[in-house]
Amino acid sequence: MQGTLLHRMDGTARRFVPFGVTLILMLFAMTPTYIPGLSHVTPMYALMAVYFWAIYRPDLLGYGATFSIGILEDLLAGTPLGSGALILLLCQRVVFHQQKFFNNKPFGIIWLAFALVAAGAALLRWICVGLVATSGFTPIGQMFTAYLMSVAMYPIIGWFLAKAHMKLLAQSE
Amino acid sequence: MRLPTGQISRFGTLKSLLQRFAYLSLIGLTGALMLIGKADTVLVERASDAVTDAVTPVLRVMSEPAAVVADFVNNLRELAAIREENAELRESNSRLLQWQSLAQKLESENKSLRGLSALVPEPNATFVTARVVADTGGAFAQSILITAGEQSGVHKGQVVLTGEGLVGRVMQAGLYSARVLLITDINSRIPVLVGEAGNRAILAGDNSLRPRLLFLSNKSAAAPGDKIVTSGDAEAFPPGIPIGQVSRVEEGGVEVEPFVVRDKIQHVRVADYGLSGILAQSPPALKAEAPKTEKVEK
Repeated sequence: MQGTLLHRMDGTARRFVPFGVTLILMLFAMTPTYIPGLSHVTPMYALMAVYFWAIYRPDLLGYGATFSIGILEDLLAGTPLGSGALILLLCQRVVFHQQKFFNNKPFGIIWLAFALVAAGAALLRWICVGLVATSGFTPIGQMFTAYLMSVAMYPIIGWFLAKAHMKLLAQSE
Repeated sequence: MRLPTGQISRFGTLKSLLQRFAYLSLIGLTGALMLIGKADTVLVERASDAVTDAVTPVLRVMSEPAAVVADFVNNLRELAAIREENAELRESNSRLLQWQSLAQKLESENKSLRGLSALVPEPNATFVTARVVADTGGAFAQSILITAGEQSGVHKGQVVLTGEGLVGRVMQAGLYSARVLLITDINSRIPVLVGEAGNRAILAGDNSLRPRLLFLSNKSAAAPGDKIVTSGDAEAFPPGIPIGQVSRVEEGGVEVEPFVVRDKIQHVRVADYGLSGILAQSPPALKAEAPKTEKVEK
């Protein structure tokens, strides 16, 4: 009996892994790294995680979870409330819709597709923030650098996400 | 119990309809939140304070390893350069001793002149030291979160410094944490004095590493290397806080290299100078302010 309860609790905990990992990555983006020149162009870590789970485990990271992570990010970073959540939700939807395309594709294609999705997300966020924020549009160069950083960092973050995926979720199948 | 195929497909359709509805509602909610954020900044600020207070302990733990690594790397770097640094320090020490005697002379002279002119002394500042636990620097906002809030006497509008110079000012203060708007943020506008001539200007951030000078009264007078200090106009900052130096002068404007190296900030001091300038109310309020609101009694 106890074994079943533990087993069930374990299963529930595993189901929260994608949410937890995405949340940690979002917070990780905010922790100071003390690496010269990097503090003002943080890659979009939360976007990477949302993209990854939308491809491999769409059942475990729902719209509600993505929304709450986006809102939390906006409240912590001081960006216009709702702008981060909107981008994450749109990105998730696009990937859900193209599920067939992503099926069994090699990493190179997934990476390339991330570059495309991230470009759209970054541009849309720039427009969104520019329209809503009192300060108006920020120089697009900053955003472009952050975008390039995100594309460059995706293989590393993707590797960690894949590890987490395999270790914690494969057993629950 | 097995459901008939028709019922399953009906359930499926209903489920996907519900999902679509939930999705569209969430998208609508983000739009509504953006509008609310624009209309009612106080509400959003309160929510942000609450969230920041709750998450700061987590960020504190998360920032620990990076701080340890950074300290270790710094120690190694300092060890490698210890000889040269020692020689440099000796040289600068002898130079500083000369300055010290000059300062003592000036201080006594200043004291007697103050006595003659019956000048009202400036109120002493009180300081609170806090740790930086988050650097939320992205392409859209440049701020840091620190581990001191209203409980420790940190209030909105206060000045944030390190040993090198100005970091920014407190934009939001929760109970146990506060958000500091950096001088590089696109919302940051600081009245400054440029160079020895003391030309007035506004230092404006643009989310890049180097803020720019706006409304510089004498553009041709600015040259690379000129020191930038706060002017004290608008009572937002006390006069004379070092900010940086002019790094580049070009057609488009004058770029300033801040003295505070962003990547190295681990601790900051929040100073209460007892100022009640317009920045205490809302950050963008100074946006279109030209440096002509000079105070006469300065």
